[in-house]
Amino acid sequence: MLEYLYDGTFAGLLTAIFHAFRRKEYPDVILRPQGQRLLFATTHTVETDDVMAQRVLNGIERYGGKTTCEQLLHAFLSQSNNVEILILQYARELFFQKRPIMADLGNSFVLQIHKLDRRVLREVQRVLMFIRFERSADGIYFAPFAPKYDVLPLTVGHFKHRFADQQWVIYDTVRDYGFHYHGKRVEQITINAPAFSRDSGKLSVEMEHENEDDYREMWRVYFRSIAISERLNPTLQRNFMPKRFWKYLTEKKV
Amino acid sequence: MNLQEKIRILAAAAKYDVSCSSSGSDRANQPGGIGSAAKAGICHSFADDGRCISLLKILYSNHCIYDCAYCVNRHSNDIQRTTFTVKELVDLTIGFYRRNYIEGLFLSSGVINNPDFTMERLVRVARELRQIHRFNGYIHLKTIPGGSSRLVKEAALYADRLSVNIEIPSEGNLKMLAPEKDYPSVLSPMSLIKEGIVQYKEERRIYRHTPLFAPAGQSTQLIIGATPDSDRQILSLASNLYATQNLKRVYYSGYNPTNLYDSRLPAITVPPLKRENRLYQSDWLMRFYQFSVDEIVNDAHPDLDLSVDPKLSYALRNPHIFPIDVNSADHHMLLRIPGVGPKSAKMILAARRFRKLNSQHLRRIGVVMKRAQYFITCHELPTATIQELQPERVRSMLTMDLRKQSLPNAHQLSLW
Ligand code: SF4
Repeated sequence: MLEYLYDGTFAGLLTAIFHAFRRKEYPDVILRPQGQRLLFATTHTVETDDVMAQRVLNGIERYGGKTTCEQLLHAFLSQSNNVEILILQYARELFFQKRPIMADLGNSFVLQIHKLDRRVLREVQRVLMFIRFERSADGIYFAPFAPKYDVLPLTVGHFKHRFADQQWVIYDTVRDYGFHYHGKRVEQITINAPAFSRDSGKLSVEMEHENEDDYREMWRVYFRSIAISERLNPTLQRNFMPKRFWKYLTEKKV
Repeated sequence: MNLQEKIRILAAAAKYDVSCSSSGSDRANQPGGIGSAAKAGICHSFADDGRCISLLKILYSNHCIYDCAYCVNRHSNDIQRTTFTVKELVDLTIGFYRRNYIEGLFLSSGVINNPDFTMERLVRVARELRQIHRFNGYIHLKTIPGGSSRLVKEAALYADRLSVNIEIPSEGNLKMLAPEKDYPSVLSPMSLIKEGIVQYKEERRIYRHTPLFAPAGQSTQLIIGATPDSDRQILSLASNLYATQNLKRVYYSGYNPTNLYDSRLPAITVPPLKRENRLYQSDWLMRFYQFSVDEIVNDAHPDLDLSVDPKLSYALRNPHIFPIDVNSADHHMLLRIPGVGPKSAKMILAARRFRKLNSQHLRRIGVVMKRAQYFITCHELPTATIQELQPERVRSMLTMDLRKQSLPNAHQLSLW
């Protein structure tokens, strides 16, 4: 058995794929640092190399186009078991066929990539839907979120475009990093001494803008009033808006 | 009255309008402004009845000089009444928008004083949002029946979508329940908006700076079950509106018993949800599955079959077109197979260029084989289709399947 070890980044995986091609070998697993090691295996450790990664990416783009690159990145973000091998298989097939294979859904690994891509995009969409900002005393709109996958970077463009005239922070409380937009550029940040509660996402009282409670309350009143009581349907509500999102939802959290 | 109280009353008064879509516009953010519209629309929450909340759907006022029998806001109804100010609504919209609660505003109103007075207020809210606050989020305005064409046109300059609600699916019944209304007064603003959209689109092709004019088009709503109109009547009207008025959406709203003492209305306690659902499915068949209205309802079948969905119902009535070969049928025919949606139809077309598809491929692509199996042939040994089994067998097998799915629930009930 042959195992590759890489650093868990997308560039690292692309480097691993480069190694596999150059060494003309086919690893059984490509493991992230936390991955479950094989008992009896030859180990090859991959040092992430931006030039090699870029060359693999260029190749993928040449034959599969930008959409394929994005699809593979999204699939990678799903952190699904063995997604690395799936991506390696996909790249090999793509380089062999020298044309887009995205539509070959009768092919099992193409279909699996397709499904993972959709799963991750769905989570992206849910960030756009369910993120809620609270205004802080210094005028920054702050929004914590706990996405299942590491997708916050894929949402920055949307918020930057939409809220171009307000300062905001979106924060991934699971991976403990976020983005701050201060009117011109977006910067990646980590908050050391959190002024918000990780459980409720709420800013501490002294950090909060004085009107904030009014808006929260008005939104909750609206939320309650807009439902038709003859048609209550909590199952449907939970299907569309799963419970895991409730903790940071202004209208749902307690 | 404080603002919270107004929101409570005027949101509750707007809740029976079912439209909430924020799609169809991709207004970009203007430098220095706030907001943008997303082409596909975004839902931000789901209310306790399971419906999507995308826009702040609210009335400007629930005072009304008219007395439409089916409406909670009718003049003769004894309810608490209130009215926003323009500033209150503008600030509320911006405040909610900045917190990512909503995609924008859907504003409607009861008729205060007279139609133009009311329409003018709605237009002013939209104008202030666009011009003073440079708001680029979504705005949907409802036109007030009887409003002047000048105001309707001005509304279209600020709004992404306009709606003109027909409410009652036939003119005779409309006149009976809403004596102040008639079809011409409802349909004329619709035509006006349609012509405006066509004209502005033409001009935009030549002059890039022609302003937008209701870029997300117009929609309407029909109330179901308040009058004895048949599904054929309803769907023909809808199909006609899609064709002649270029409507983006027709919404169907199962009548909620909002008027319990008027003998002109049926005595029901729950809205006809199943029928409403079947009408939506039929509407989808017309818009995304290339079905014509006569294929769904006709002289022989003026009402929808509530026990099976309209597509399956069509298939059972037309066994002669099946089985369909998924490896050679064209797009139009693929869309007729029960269990195949627009997405899987496209995927079949793409995937079969690489290899011949068998049932396992189809299942992986997302075709619901439980249904489709009786209506297709694919790259493997043929199985029994509707030809061998006859429609009645297929119907009973498929409806039995459905019953099996809901069994756990029934079981629970019988326990208690
Ligand atoms: S005009 Fe509109 S708000 Fe007034 S009663 Fe009729 S439907 Fe209701």
